[in-house]
Amino acid sequence: MSANYTRNFCIIAHVDHGKTTLSDRLLEYTNTVSMRVMTAQHLDSMDLERERGITIKSHPVTMTYRAKDGHDYKLNLMDTPGHVDFSYEVSRSLAACEGAVLLIDAAQGVEAQTVANAHLAFSQKLKVIPVINKIDLPSANLELCTRQLEDILTIPAEEAILASGKSGIGIVDILEAVVARVPPPRWQEYPQTRCLVFDSLYDSYRGCIAYVRIFSGSIKAGDMMMLMSTGQKAEVKEVGVFMPKMEKIAALGAGDVGYIVSSIKTPADVKTGDTITIASKPATEMLPGYKEVRPLVFCGLYPLESDDYEKLKAALGRLRLNDAAFVYASESSLALGFGFRCGFLGLLHMEIIQERIRREHDVEIISTYPSVIYHVIKHGGDLIEVDNPVNMPDPGTMIEIREPTIRAQIILPNESMGDILSLIMEKRGVCDHTDTLDMNRVMLKCSLPLNEILVDFNDRLKSITHGYGSMDYELGDYMAADLVKMDIMINGDPVDAFSCIVHRSNADNRGRSLCEKLAEIIPPQMFKVAIQAAIGGKIIARDNVKEMRKDVTSKCYGGDISRKRKLLDKQKEGKKKMKQIGKVSIPPDAFIKVLQNN
Amino acid sequence: MSGLATAQAKASSAHAPLGLYVHVPFCASTCDFCAFYQTQPTVDGVGAFLASTAREAALVEWTRPVTTVFWGGGTPGMLAARDLEKLAETVRVRCGGVPDEWTVELAPGSVTDERLAVLRAAGVTRVSMGVQSFQPSLLDALGRQHSLGQIDRAYERVRAAGFSSVNLDLMFALPGQTEAEWAADVRAAVARAPDHISTYCLTFEEDTKLWVKLSQGRVKLDPEHEVRLYEQTWAQLAAAGYGQYEVSNFARPGHACRHNLNTWRMNEWVGLGPSAASQHGGWRGANIADLDQWQIRVARGERVTEDRVALTPALLAEDALIFGLRTNDGVDVAAWRARCPDAPWAAVEELLGRLADEELATRAGPVVRLTDRGRLLADSVGAEVMEAFSAGLPVA
Repeated sequence: MSANYTRNFCIIAHVDHGKTTLSDRLLEYTNTVSMRVMTAQHLDSMDLERERGITIKSHPVTMTYRAKDGHDYKLNLMDTPGHVDFSYEVSRSLAACEGAVLLIDAAQGVEAQTVANAHLAFSQKLKVIPVINKIDLPSANLELCTRQLEDILTIPAEEAILASGKSGIGIVDILEAVVARVPPPRWQEYPQTRCLVFDSLYDSYRGCIAYVRIFSGSIKAGDMMMLMSTGQKAEVKEVGVFMPKMEKIAALGAGDVGYIVSSIKTPADVKTGDTITIASKPATEMLPGYKEVRPLVFCGLYPLESDDYEKLKAALGRLRLNDAAFVYASESSLALGFGFRCGFLGLLHMEIIQERIRREHDVEIISTYPSVIYHVIKHGGDLIEVDNPVNMPDPGTMIEIREPTIRAQIILPNESMGDILSLIMEKRGVCDHTDTLDMNRVMLKCSLPLNEILVDFNDRLKSITHGYGSMDYELGDYMAADLVKMDIMINGDPVDAFSCIVHRSNADNRGRSLCEKLAEIIPPQMFKVAIQAAIGGKIIARDNVKEMRKDVTSKCYGGDISRKRKLLDKQKEGKKKMKQIGKVSIPPDAFIKVLQNN
Repeated sequence: MSGLATAQAKASSAHAPLGLYVHVPFCASTCDFCAFYQTQPTVDGVGAFLASTAREAALVEWTRPVTTVFWGGGTPGMLAARDLEKLAETVRVRCGGVPDEWTVELAPGSVTDERLAVLRAAGVTRVSMGVQSFQPSLLDALGRQHSLGQIDRAYERVRAAGFSSVNLDLMFALPGQTEAEWAADVRAAVARAPDHISTYCLTFEEDTKLWVKLSQGRVKLDPEHEVRLYEQTWAQLAAAGYGQYEVSNFARPGHACRHNLNTWRMNEWVGLGPSAASQHGGWRGANIADLDQWQIRVARGERVTEDRVALTPALLAEDALIFGLRTNDGVDVAAWRARCPDAPWAAVEELLGRLADEELATRAGPVVRLTDRGRLLADSVGAEVMEAFSAGLPVA
């Protein structure tokens, strides 16, 4: 089968617009997976992915489809991560395709992520096939959807295919459109072998398995391959395709999507976006778009029980094997003991890793307040990067602090406009564009400090808009800002785990609310406990832990002496299970609670 | 008073006080709040109990006369008059005559002239009556076995019999009890002019019916409400002339229970009967809390078989603080320091300093006392004392 009968495409959509269900219908229709083994959401295999309805790992699959023109086509479907945290991964998956099916929920219309993904696809020069999904919903509004396609995405309405993944409407139309509209594989003529790595998997028996799209040439077991970003060479042990399970084949050729097992055992060596070529006859140019992925969000992870340190370390190591974007290094905290500084692509990525540590590795953890990477310009002009507020240098030694910003697009109902604008202002954002999407909705474009959207921005957006608002973003520039390090002190002892970087104008509010929260969470104490927020030694807020009022037990006869001692002993032991900050016992969940609700 | 405090440090000398506690394990039924060991009485069971008590008393190495006696339970009043006489005989034979103070707990329903006459003749000086409440509805809620009429008839009989000291036990913070209802209960007790009043804040002990209700969420704890009840009690009884001498105990001058004070000051006492605790002859511990098993052990010549710990000066000093701080007299720290110089006094002094700084305790010369606020936190204070003592110990 010539590569001219190959089509590589992906499906892009806003969360919940039916991407996974539609993929399943395509697999079913092309008999790639027989009905018998078909489970709902076949492609999202990780538990967590299924639960959250999001895709984290790529799940490519090769289908064979006999088109109405009588030819058999090889269709490679790339299932892509759907969240902004993984936008680099998305861009690499898109780069492996020539076309994209853009799904729009007929009842929801265009959402922020739809816009962001469509723009990503346009920038990769993919042919976009618009599909209006869930047309059988009673609340479907086709007129609105087609108008939005034209107005917002500048896609002609007549290109839209009407479909329902759930009931199988429009499946053939989509397959036909992929065959007819998506161009055959590009760059086949390049003289040497070039394969784009768009994901990888670690297997404890076979080492690193690279997921690749072959653009030109071919690759087979026994070849000596080379990774172009580093020049590292390795022997190819096996190549194959996804059916959707991995199936070994003799060779991968131009236009194919498949996998390569090599002698490489270190997951970090196989980087998403890298180009694999043949060492004996290497390509001279890499495929475009490769970059080093760098984590954006950092937090400390500590075992709740210090005995679990080794267990946590092993868990992080294993997670890292399959997730090159996740980084960690050991650190220690006065309050929390020994733990790890961890870097993530974004908040969702952070939540997923934490959840997997708890669930799959059974370690209870405490996480510190998330932080971004600040650029600190020291006197003399040196720039240092700070990802942990504890390491923020003394204000006297620096000229300024710069923080990362994002460019966000937020889609919201008209009536929420005022509240969202004040939310953006509260978060130190600047709104510079307002577009009317339809009778009911507008799209805002704004710049926001990344730090400000880390914790509760999305939750508040959802609650203000009663779930109708959506947001997507891309990284913007580093901007100087009037930032200060705020310390929280308990009875005068700074608790490093609570330190955070805040804007000076927010410091008083943040300090007060953190103090209040802590005063509420720490159980009543016998001795007075002051909680203070301080900036550079100056107290900006304070609160007191509630005083314990009564715990005496009434009766105490001769026989009660031993019993009472046991009771008090239990009380004393209970205290040992808490984190001791000075003379104050803080229950371990206090850390989580403060961080969660702030 | 500080003379009393200094006396704490001179335990086990020939003149030190010695208590005798007898646990009479019989009750007609179990009260919802009670965690003490008790069982239903039978003729055989009572006979065996009396015989084994005498046998156990014979196992004790008596080195000096008993100064105070306390019969508790259970309900000692469940015993017939002739059985009370037999038990009293054991005390008289073994203890070298009549003690200075001899308390017997009586449930109002068990008070008869015949029993009172026997007790009075034996030398009992003090009767403690478990009234619990004067409110019929609350009495019912506690699963109690007496009526308001029985309480008054019993009290009059006890008074008429001429005991030199009478105590009424009350309970508060009962489920649903208001502050006004409790104030009425205290007034009702005061109106009867007992010599001593004990007021017990209801505690939820494991293995009680109330504990079960609490853990099922049918009863709610309200510490702030309890604080108000405590403070109200203290004010009301002080105004009525009852001086507080311990968290739950109040007396007219000269009527404090010396047996209990003896216990809290870490002097010695011998306990007889199932579940009875002893602190005597270098050991602390308890008898097994089972009538049959206790008899088997006594027959073998064994007693104080449970929770045995050797008494060391450091343990006594620690407990003298934990339990002494519950009393209004407080603790003579200097005296204990002299008796046990090796204890981690630096850590203890630091704690006492913090307690004083936070106005949880006061210091007058060698004596430390808790303030009213501190007394309400006596359990936390106790846990801190334990921690201070363990902080000074070498790590095992």
